[in-house]
Amino acid sequence: MSARPQASIGVNVLGVGCHSGAWRSGETDPAGLYDVGFYQEVGRIAERGTLDAIFLADSPGLFAPPTTEPPFMGLEPTVTLTAIAAATERIGVVGTLSTSFNEPYNVARRVASLDHVSGGRAGFNAVTTYSEAAAANFGDGPLPDHDHRYARADEFLDVVTALWDGWEDGALVGDVATGRYVDPDRLHAIDHAGEHFSVRGPLNVPRSPQGRPVLVQAGASEQGLRLAARHAEAVFTSQLTLHDGQRYYADLKARVAREGRDPASLKVMPGLTTVIGGTEAEAAARYARLEELAGGSSSLGQLAATLGLDPDELDLDAPVPEVADRGSFNTSHGFYRSFLGVARREGLTVRQVVARFQSGHRLVVGAPEQVADTIEEWLLNGAADGFNLMPDVFPSGLQTFVDHVVPILRERGIFRHEYTGSTLRDHLGLARPARSGRRSGAPWAAGDLRAA
Amino acid sequence: MTPRRQLHLGYNVLGDGMHPAAWRAPYTNPVGALDPDQWTHVARVAERGTLDAIFLADSPSLMGGAEGGPGLPFEPTVLLSHLAAVTERIGLVGTVSTSFDQPYNVARRFASLDHLSRGRAGWNVVTSTDASAAANFGSAAHGARDERYARAEEFVDVVNALWDTWDDDAIVADQAGGRFADGGRVRPIDHHGRHFDVAGPLNVPRTPQGRPVVLQAGGSPAGLELAARTADAVFAAQASLEDALAYTTDLRRRTVRHGRPADSIRVLPGLSFVLGGTEEEARRRNDELNEIAGEDRLGTLAWQLGIDVTELSWEAPLPDWLLDTTELSTAGSQGSREIVLNLARRDRSLTARQLLERVITWHRLVVGSPEQLADAIETWFVAGAVDGFNLMPDVNPSGLEAFVEHVVPILRRRGIFRHEYEGTTLRDHLGLARPTSARRVARTAAAA
Repeated sequence: MSARPQASIGVNVLGVGCHSGAWRSGETDPAGLYDVGFYQEVGRIAERGTLDAIFLADSPGLFAPPTTEPPFMGLEPTVTLTAIAAATERIGVVGTLSTSFNEPYNVARRVASLDHVSGGRAGFNAVTTYSEAAAANFGDGPLPDHDHRYARADEFLDVVTALWDGWEDGALVGDVATGRYVDPDRLHAIDHAGEHFSVRGPLNVPRSPQGRPVLVQAGASEQGLRLAARHAEAVFTSQLTLHDGQRYYADLKARVAREGRDPASLKVMPGLTTVIGGTEAEAAARYARLEELAGGSSSLGQLAATLGLDPDELDLDAPVPEVADRGSFNTSHGFYRSFLGVARREGLTVRQVVARFQSGHRLVVGAPEQVADTIEEWLLNGAADGFNLMPDVFPSGLQTFVDHVVPILRERGIFRHEYTGSTLRDHLGLARPARSGRRSGAPWAAGDLRAA
Repeated sequence: MTPRRQLHLGYNVLGDGMHPAAWRAPYTNPVGALDPDQWTHVARVAERGTLDAIFLADSPSLMGGAEGGPGLPFEPTVLLSHLAAVTERIGLVGTVSTSFDQPYNVARRFASLDHLSRGRAGWNVVTSTDASAAANFGSAAHGARDERYARAEEFVDVVNALWDTWDDDAIVADQAGGRFADGGRVRPIDHHGRHFDVAGPLNVPRTPQGRPVVLQAGGSPAGLELAARTADAVFAAQASLEDALAYTTDLRRRTVRHGRPADSIRVLPGLSFVLGGTEEEARRRNDELNEIAGEDRLGTLAWQLGIDVTELSWEAPLPDWLLDTTELSTAGSQGSREIVLNLARRDRSLTARQLLERVITWHRLVVGSPEQLADAIETWFVAGAVDGFNLMPDVNPSGLEAFVEHVVPILRRRGIFRHEYEGTTLRDHLGLARPTSARRVARTAAAA
């Protein structure tokens, strides 16, 4: 009997719950997203469920005045993940950082530092950031357009990878007798001079426990897919139906192969929003209560923003409007496509879309078996290598998943009973990368810099 | 009886220790600077000694240091978050340069750290002089000093304004009423300056300390002005009591000129030390470390002075042209250069070897017994030259352990250092008031 495929499961800690009503549910600290205890508790619960990773989304800005609900993100991810790593032992920690509003040296260093202090559990989710609110915190120009952001991201990831590879395994000698701390032949500047960046290197952090932290990507536009195929080891996507999931999966794996990479070296992990009850009816009641607490408005606002429209322009009982010139929207293409594809095929109204696709991701409202069924179905039918969970409320929704869904997945032989390795790469089944051959500069000599 | 004024002590870890040979010392782990468990250990020892703060120096580069030792590998805010999780009270101060990052990012990381540590974060503001760092950020030549400081001034103003964008009581968290925050109490800054355009608001609420503590380390006139206007504490670098007194007098005068009380800023020069059970033991340990370091120390001195190592010799004084120069160095750290030149000018017969016995890694050096080190601390403190020190043990963890075991009890007996923490935040430890939001000050003024 051949081994069944194993699901990779991350948990996306979006605010105090992925449902806009979470903070009013009475099941969470409404201001928990600013409290270290909240994150550490979520981390421990996820680790008890032997999940692969904690995932933090991010945007360096405040989208809207946080009057009617708390924001979904706030504290800076690398700093927050370090606090989670310190309270856990095995679970991976993946942080989102913008390639548009950071310098590659700083990002390479922070994530490598996290990989060291966490003992090899770090991942970097590279996003280009499509928020005007964020752009306004980094200059007075408009948000750079989609093509420009992705060109910068591509070069950014080349630089980050080269910096992580600047120290060969074994470069750190630490020979007390001779006073040789490093082997200069195994330490390389990168001497990168590109269109967006000029970075000499080497990084001041030795090669990290995982060789390189895990690179994650989330884009779904043509450029995003190209970027993922070239660089990513996991993608956080947003397909809503099995059919769309299969299409995306096949397309991306083929692109990975065309880049000369093993298709298995990239894990496809769609988001999965869950509202779990003991029975389907209980789950439905739970969902109805959360919807009522959210007032229904915030999901609508999210849909409108995704479409590039004002919420007032949307008629709740009309079909989701056709938007003629998609190219003109400087927004998230992945969410946009998922919404429209499903809405058109099924003739959904705006109200139905809002109800079904909380947070822009596939939503399952049901009993533990039903959640397990979805995961299994996608895993066995070429639509996903796993999921990035988005529970309705933290920590309760995650706790329910760990206590009631994880045992079913284990029983079905598609999820681990315990961690078999210690690094995020181990959990995801990704090999420790060899040093990339790209852009290896000449051995680096300290003397050059002293004289400079 | 009024309680005696209390000393403030930081711990400048510097990886394996301040001594150039620290990583090669027989009683240390050569790759300890990369070992999270060693960091956890030293942080807990420092907390056991009720020190005010752990301090992390930084440069985003190898600083020409990898062949001779570990340098400062881990990014400070990440490492401090790790240390926050393994301690409960001690303050956590990280150095981040204003030259190679954006104010929104920096404001956010320190605000996040302040929340995650429940009020223990501090930011040490530096402008970078390191050419190898500049080369990692696309600028072959970094700006002249005035330009660097002009950017730093604006950078610090933007960070402070961002930290004030949420009022203390902005979060209502009214679950029944469905109101999370009072929209009128979260406002943008709409900053448009010469170096930065930043809309705000920050996406992190006002922090437990109101604002994280701001430290500054520059010793040039531009650095002093920045400190006097914006800093809560300075990590200064004086090697003699006279220099320290002059520095502190100057800084307090400038502070008052900026409309702040003279005592609103803590002066904490670096204090490097080599401790032994007796003075003789300390000297032996020092000799042993110096022997291991060998010629490296002369190279470090040359680097600090901004001259070529061939201009120096162990048994000769510094070259006359250098002592007589009135020119400020065009790059490099003004403070670190002046600390050596001031000593050498006061006694022009001092050889390079003798200079290196008094000052090392840019700071005052004491080699001696616990009593002698306690005396060295108390003398400057009582003279009013300092509010305390940023401690730089020769080798970690043994140098720190010896300090906590043997020097802290003496300082406590003398009534100048706390027996236990009295507060929970870094501001509490440093005796600094929680700042009122600048916006609130403005509103109150407008209402008056």
